[in-house]
Amino acid sequence: MTNISNNLFSSYVKNEELYDEIYDSNGDIKDVYKKLFSLYGEHSLTNFVKLNSKAKASFFNQGITFQVYNKKATQEEIFPFDLFPRIINPEEWDIIEKGSIQRSKALNLFLWDVYHEKNIIKDGIVPIDLITSSANYLHQMENLDPPGGIYNHVSGIDIIKHKDGKFYVLEDNIRCPSGVSYVICNRTALKRALFGVFNHYQTYSVTNYAENFLELLETAKPNGVDIPNSVVITPGIYNSAYYEHSYLAKTMGIELVEGRDLFVENDFVYMKTIKGPLKVDIIYRRVDDLYIDPLEFNPESVLGVPGLFAAYKKGNVTLANAPGTGVADDKAVYTYMPEIIKYYLKEEPILNNVKTYHCSRPKDLEYVLEHTHELVIKPVDESGGYGISIGNKLSKKELKKVKKEVKENPRKYVAQPIMSLSVHPTYIEETNSFEQRHIDLRTFTVLGKEKEFVLKGGLTRVALRKGNLIVNSSQGGGSKDTWVLKK
Amino acid sequence: MLARVANNLYWMGRYIERSEHVARYLNVNYFSSLDAPNELSQSRQFVLRSMLFMVDKPEKDEKKILNEEEVLYQIGLDPSSPFSILNNVKIARENANSARDLISQELYEAINKFYHYTINYDADEFKKNGLDDFTSNVTEMTGVIRGKMRGTLLHDSVYAIIMMGINIERATQIIRIINSKCQDALSAQGSYQHKFSKSFEWTTLLKCLESYDMMRRIYKKTPTSISTLEFLILNPNCPRSIMNCLNQICNNVKVIDDQKEKKPDSTAFLVGKIRSEFRFKRIEEIDENIYVFIKKILEDLSSISIKMEEEFFNY
Repeated sequence: MTNISNNLFSSYVKNEELYDEIYDSNGDIKDVYKKLFSLYGEHSLTNFVKLNSKAKASFFNQGITFQVYNKKATQEEIFPFDLFPRIINPEEWDIIEKGSIQRSKALNLFLWDVYHEKNIIKDGIVPIDLITSSANYLHQMENLDPPGGIYNHVSGIDIIKHKDGKFYVLEDNIRCPSGVSYVICNRTALKRALFGVFNHYQTYSVTNYAENFLELLETAKPNGVDIPNSVVITPGIYNSAYYEHSYLAKTMGIELVEGRDLFVENDFVYMKTIKGPLKVDIIYRRVDDLYIDPLEFNPESVLGVPGLFAAYKKGNVTLANAPGTGVADDKAVYTYMPEIIKYYLKEEPILNNVKTYHCSRPKDLEYVLEHTHELVIKPVDESGGYGISIGNKLSKKELKKVKKEVKENPRKYVAQPIMSLSVHPTYIEETNSFEQRHIDLRTFTVLGKEKEFVLKGGLTRVALRKGNLIVNSSQGGGSKDTWVLKK
Repeated sequence: MLARVANNLYWMGRYIERSEHVARYLNVNYFSSLDAPNELSQSRQFVLRSMLFMVDKPEKDEKKILNEEEVLYQIGLDPSSPFSILNNVKIARENANSARDLISQELYEAINKFYHYTINYDADEFKKNGLDDFTSNVTEMTGVIRGKMRGTLLHDSVYAIIMMGINIERATQIIRIINSKCQDALSAQGSYQHKFSKSFEWTTLLKCLESYDMMRRIYKKTPTSISTLEFLILNPNCPRSIMNCLNQICNNVKVIDDQKEKKPDSTAFLVGKIRSEFRFKRIEEIDENIYVFIKKILEDLSSISIKMEEEFFNY
C-alpha cells in the first residue's frame, strides 16, 4: 500500500513496476512532496470533492471549454484538471530548460539548411529521401529567408521521464503547438482552490509567457518596420483551441483576426478596421500551413488570406511559425535529432531520444515486424496521438492488421520501444481517491533573434484512463499545474 | 478595432438589451393583467396577443384561442423561434465569443453565466410556474452584464460600439413597447372610465420600462397618455426615454468618429441630425398622430444602423 498516512491519500497504491514521481530511489516520499501531502491531508475527502467541483465550475464559467458533439446537440466540456500539482526541482528543470533550448535551436538551423544549401544531406548525416518524401516539406519555402532567420518561433517539446529516471523527448511540435493557455489557467484554478499551499513553496510564475512571447516575436519583424503591428490569426470561434487564441491575443494586447479580416495589396498585408485598412507586420498564426493562402496552397481554404504567401516571400510580413516547419517535427526526422544537434551546435544532446526504428530501412522493418508486440508503432505525420498502436495492447487480429499496414507503407511508420511514462498521484472521480496515472510534460520554448525564452512550468498532461499511455486531450487526457521551484 | 469584431460587439449589445426588454415585457404584462381594472385587460388572450405583438409576431387570426403555455414557451425558451429570449442570449454570447480578446474576462464570465442559465432553464418549469423566476433573473443578469461593461471595460471605441448597440436597441424596444401598449389602450377603450387617454395600460407601459416610480415623482398624478408619452419619449433625464438614448448614441458616435467636421455622409452627422429634430419636438405634435411618429422613429433608428454598417462594419 502506501506510506502516506492521511485522509486523502490513505488508499494510494504504489505499483513497484512504475516510476512514481513522488518517491525517491529508496522508496521514501521525496522531501518536496512531504509538505504538500501534509497540507492536502488537512482536507477531508468531502471537502476535497467540494474544492474539485468548485475548480471545475470556475473553468466552466470562464468559458475555458471545448465542444463535444453527440447525437442530440453540441455540449461544452471543460478540460479535465487535476488539483494535485507536479513539482519539478531546480536541478531537473535546468536539464529540461537547457535541453529544450538546444533542441529548438538545432531544429531552427536544420530548417534553414533544409530549405537552403542542404549541407546536412550533402554531408551524409540525414538521407535525402527523408526530406523529399515528407508530406510537410514545402518546395515554396526553398531559398526563402524568413524575417530574423527564425522558423520555429514557438516549439512545444514533449518530454517524459522513463523508468530509468532520465528525461526523454517523445516528440517535437513545431507547427502550431498548443496548450500554453492551460498552463496559466491551471495555475489560476489551483490558486483559487488551494491558495494556502503556495505560501510554502517558491514557485516560478507562469503568467509572464505572453509578454515574453510578444517581445521575442517582435525581434523577428520584417526589415524596415519600426514598431510592428502584430496579430494572432485563428480559424474562428469553433476551433477547439479558440480559447487559447483569444487568451494569447488578449494578454499580448494585440488583435485576434480571422482570414476574412485580412487582405493583401501590392504584397503588403492589411486588416480591415473600423477606420479603414491598417498594415500588419507580424502574424502569429494558428492556422495550418495548407490553409494560410488559397492561392499558394489548398485552393479550397476559406481560413486563409489570398496573397499572404507572396507577401511573406517578399519579406513584408513575419509568419510565426514559418510555413514548412512540419518537415522537422516529422517523427522520422526525430530519430536523427542527436545527429542534428551534434552537426549544427557541436554539442552533445542534453535530452535523450527514444531509440527509433525506421520502417523504411529494410533491416529495421524486419526487426519491427518481428517485435511488433513489444513496440509502439507511430505514423510519422500525424499529431494528437492519432494512429498510434501500442504493441502489447493489441489483439492477435489487430497485430496482424498493423503489420500488414506497415509492410505496405513502410515510409509512413516508425517504431519505438514501449516507454514507461512516469506516474503521479491523480484524483480519480469515479473512485473518489488518488491513483497513479502516467504523465508527460510539454515545454514551451520561444526563439527570437539572438534571444530565447522557456516558460518555467509547462503543461503536465495526465492520461486519466488507468494504464493508458496516451496523454493527449483528444484521447481522454487531463492536465496538472506544474511547479518549477526556485533555487 | 477590426470591422468584423466591431459588428459583433454592436450586435452583442443589441441582443443583450433585447433579451432584457422582452423578459420584462412578459413579466410586467402577465402579472399586471392579473388584477387589472377592466375585464379586457384581465383577459389572458388579450395579454398573450400583446406579447406576440411586441416581439413582432402578431396573431392575425382574431378568433384563434391562444394557448398560454405555448405562447410563453415560444417567446421565452423555444430554440426554434428566432425571437425567443433563448435565441437572443445565444447570439449575444456567440458575438461575445468572437470578441473575447477585446472584452474583459469579467464581462465574458457574466455573459457566459447568463448563457448557461438560459439554455439550462427547465422548459416545463418555465411554462408552469417559472415565468417570474426566469424573467426576473434575465433582467437581473443583464443588469450585471451592463455593470461589468461599464466597470471593467476601457471606455474607448470598443465600449462606444457596444453602447451604440445597447442604446439603438433600447430606443427601438421602447418604441415597440409604446406601440404595443398604445394598441392595447386602443382596444381596451370603451365607456367613459376606460378612455384611451386614461387607460390602465399607461401604468403597465411605465412599469414595462421600469419608469413608473420616477414618472410619479415628476408628474405626481395618475399617468395619462400625454404625460406617459412625454416622459418616455422626450424627457432627457429618464434613462428609458428615446431622447436619452439619442443623446447617448450621439456621445458614443463621437468616440468612434473623432473628426471635428462631420462629413455629411457619416453616421455622426446622421445621428446629430436626428437628435436635433427631436430636441425641438413637443409632445402635442407627437400625440396628434402617434403612429406616424412611431413609424418615423423606427425608420430613423434603422437608418443609423444601416449607416454604421456602411461606415464601420465594412469587411
